[in-house]
Amino acid sequence: MGRTLRALAVLVAAVLVACVPLVVTSPFYLQIYTFAGLNALVVVGLALLFGYAGQISLGHAAFVGIGAYTCAYCTVTLHLPWLVAIVAAGALSGAGGLILALPSLRLKGHYLAMATLGFGQLMSLVFVEAVGVTGGVNGRGGIPFPSLGPVVLRSAASLFWLVWAFVAVAVIVAYNLTSARPGRAMRAVHGSELGAQASGVDIVSVKVRTFVLSALLAGLSGALYAGVVGFVSPSSFTLTTSIGFVAMTVLGGSGSLTGPLAAAVLLTFVQYLDSLIPGLPQAAASKLQTYQQDIYGLAIVLVVVLAPRGLAGAWRRRRKGVGTA
Amino acid sequence: MSLLQIREVTKRFGGLTAVDAVSFDVFEGTIKAVIGPNGAGKSTLFNTLTGYDRPEAGSVRCDGRELVGRKPRDTVLIGVARTFQNTQLFDELTAAENVMVGCQAHQRRGFAAAMLRLPSSAREDRDARAEAGRLLRLIGIEEWLDTPAFDLPAGIRRLVEMARALATKPRLLLLDEPAAGLSAGETGELVRTLERVRDGGVTVVVVEHDMGLVMEVSDEIVVLDRGRKIAEGPPRMIQKDPAVIAAYLGEDSDDA
Repeated sequence: MGRTLRALAVLVAAVLVACVPLVVTSPFYLQIYTFAGLNALVVVGLALLFGYAGQISLGHAAFVGIGAYTCAYCTVTLHLPWLVAIVAAGALSGAGGLILALPSLRLKGHYLAMATLGFGQLMSLVFVEAVGVTGGVNGRGGIPFPSLGPVVLRSAASLFWLVWAFVAVAVIVAYNLTSARPGRAMRAVHGSELGAQASGVDIVSVKVRTFVLSALLAGLSGALYAGVVGFVSPSSFTLTTSIGFVAMTVLGGSGSLTGPLAAAVLLTFVQYLDSLIPGLPQAAASKLQTYQQDIYGLAIVLVVVLAPRGLAGAWRRRRKGVGTA
Repeated sequence: MSLLQIREVTKRFGGLTAVDAVSFDVFEGTIKAVIGPNGAGKSTLFNTLTGYDRPEAGSVRCDGRELVGRKPRDTVLIGVARTFQNTQLFDELTAAENVMVGCQAHQRRGFAAAMLRLPSSAREDRDARAEAGRLLRLIGIEEWLDTPAFDLPAGIRRLVEMARALATKPRLLLLDEPAAGLSAGETGELVRTLERVRDGGVTVVVVEHDMGLVMEVSDEIVVLDRGRKIAEGPPRMIQKDPAVIAAYLGEDSDDA
């Protein structure tokens, strides 16, 4: 019964999300919801990596950047079709993930955090310095809208649907993984590496595959971002961005996909509170935006101290409480 | 014939020789107990058999295949499974899911099949779930099937870990203090379970402090003291062995 109910809830949520462009006509609002989807796509991967496999990455903005610049370079410089560009973006960011993961996932805990942090910093330097490819600090403009053959997705609504379709596929793939052997292997690695090895789990392989998948999803998000906005610059792929992703994942809770998904949408909205809440005074809104990083940081600290299992854990606890009462 | 041959295994940690030139055999289809005072090197010996610690010298062969120098996972694939003195369960998984991880040690279906939810992957999951249920019944703890590991009592955790080890289909099962945290009744149950496991064709080596269990269940006993083997033989002989009695009762004055 619980299972049917959950499937129904997911279906209703999917239909609601799909209907958003029918209700919201302002392109500006739609773009905010599209950005929420772009963040959600990254966070689905991080939910697997951090929430299931227990491996932290402080550098995922770098993979988003690799995807975005690959898309920009393929379409603008090489005049390749968008479909080729996004495949290349996914492949390159996945490959970047593999190159980083192979040596660093043999490391444990803090060392992995350090390695991903260093990689993120290194890549943000590359984005600025590799002027020939990235356009340097000025970034790259004139990136065409996503297109499939003759069909060009230029309306805000079609971009919204495109991004959220990617999110839907990512969620389905991630859900399939978590409910089968790889998902148990990830949680086993998280639970006890000693025990996982003793149970025949190839822990390096599990970590590397999960990392590569999360890097690939981040790269796809970056490529979609490039098409949606038409312009990419290094300021979008900094440590701050990476920390934002971590905040969404941690706030969402470990061992869950819906929690991080909800947190990704919520924390994206924090950036645009002034336009989402019509009555909000300008002063309050600008304060919120000034302290956005602090809000993220505070969210991480509060979750870790008060509710280590995040939104998902709080939800499960509430359900359990109601059930037993 | 002997399934496990341990020859002159030595493991040092800095200046401490935790295991000192230990040799013994374990015969197929038997239960062998490894006993000794705290710090005798019992758990370290297990670690050298399963790839967690690499001995400085010596050789360990299981059915003719060298175990020294292999990674823990590869010893599992060869057919050596173990439990830990500090149980290493996956707390977020249920008892059944913990065992399922062990069931799937030899399976090949990976990420791609699972992502696409291929029928082969779904079938392997179903088989693993059924096998996990069977093992938990064999050990007599099927009522804990769907309980998350963090909610399990300490004694049950050890039994779930044992079921998980058995799930990898080992020829040799190494149990590190399986009776710790069990009540007297549960320990009696464990004796019968171990005999069932042995009669099912799995050779067992058990490190244990519960002498009642050791004397009742083991075909042979090895006694370690400060890394050295001081006695080996059937339970009746070990009980009367003066070196063993001295090791357990006599506190040496030069003990640091």
